[in-house]
Amino acid sequence: MDEKLKIKFIPYEVLKNKRTRDLISDLKKNTIIIVDAKLTPREEARLIRAAMKKISSKFSGIELNSLELSEIKKDKTWSDVIKEKIIEIILGKKRGMTIIGPADIIKKIEKDPTDLLLFMK
Amino acid sequence: MVGGPLKRLHNWLKSLIRSIFRRKTEVRLGLYGPTNSGKTTLANRICMDWIGEKMGKVSSIPHETREIQVKEKVTIEKGNKKLVFKLVDTPGIATKIDFEDFVKRGLKKKKAKQRAKEATKGVIEAIKWLDKMDAVLVVLDASKNPIDQVNVTILGNLEARNTPVLIVANKIDLKRANAQKVREAFPKYKVIGISAKKGSGIKNLYNELFELL
Repeated sequence: MDEKLKIKFIPYEVLKNKRTRDLISDLKKNTIIIVDAKLTPREEARLIRAAMKKISSKFSGIELNSLELSEIKKDKTWSDVIKEKIIEIILGKKRGMTIIGPADIIKKIEKDPTDLLLFMK
Repeated sequence: MVGGPLKRLHNWLKSLIRSIFRRKTEVRLGLYGPTNSGKTTLANRICMDWIGEKMGKVSSIPHETREIQVKEKVTIEKGNKKLVFKLVDTPGIATKIDFEDFVKRGLKKKKAKQRAKEATKGVIEAIKWLDKMDAVLVVLDASKNPIDQVNVTILGNLEARNTPVLIVANKIDLKRANAQKVREAFPKYKVIGISAKKGSGIKNLYNELFELL
């Protein structure tokens, strides 16, 4: 972890087609990744599995957290829910944001609940 | 992250076929959750109550359970009804494992590194086994903040697989425990407050298992 801290913004459409090991490779190089959507649970699990395979004395894993726009709005009507589903189908992603970073430099990423707070070590 | 609709369709068909055929022969009840939430303590409680033997070792040091543990044919009873299942205790899921944390808890460096290595394998196995479960008890420590990414990821993955879930808010014997906070964090799910260590709420949990399986 000698490299300088970098922040990488990746569109979800690009991330979806990226190999998980390439993401982990970025994370191992002191890079925080910000994605413009909420990852699916299966993508999160895949990422955790890939991170576990690479854990060493120099890389202790990842911190990740995400916000989903539909979770933020309370007291939703049926039309809101349908609208969100239609948008989700059209865009092919859950609107929101995901932050993934190396656990060696990030202490935690907390949901506030409408913001994501990133605490550095 | 290659996924796509075909992969999703494949996964959905796989879980559908599995659920149709497996239910006839065996039911797997998984215990999932973050590290040190009391999964093995609960597994031991269930096994002691119904088959008179323990399942695994418990410890205050995280990642004590580093391999999947299975107890075959656990039978619980309620009146005339019987429920038979395979109880599967899984290693705690985590996004990070630092051997230095084990050193801080008194382990020698070599042992700490070994434990960290085994723990990573345990997490990978636990995630793999998500596909094999018929129902899952997600065991959370009720004295901690329930809105943790690991908890969200576990629940999201079970939902994506259409696996029936019951959230167990464990450690309600602790002063700072708050099962209500767990209910508020996950309103879509049924939450049962228990203390696997002391046994409180456990009968309620057994009753709920008949609904779940």
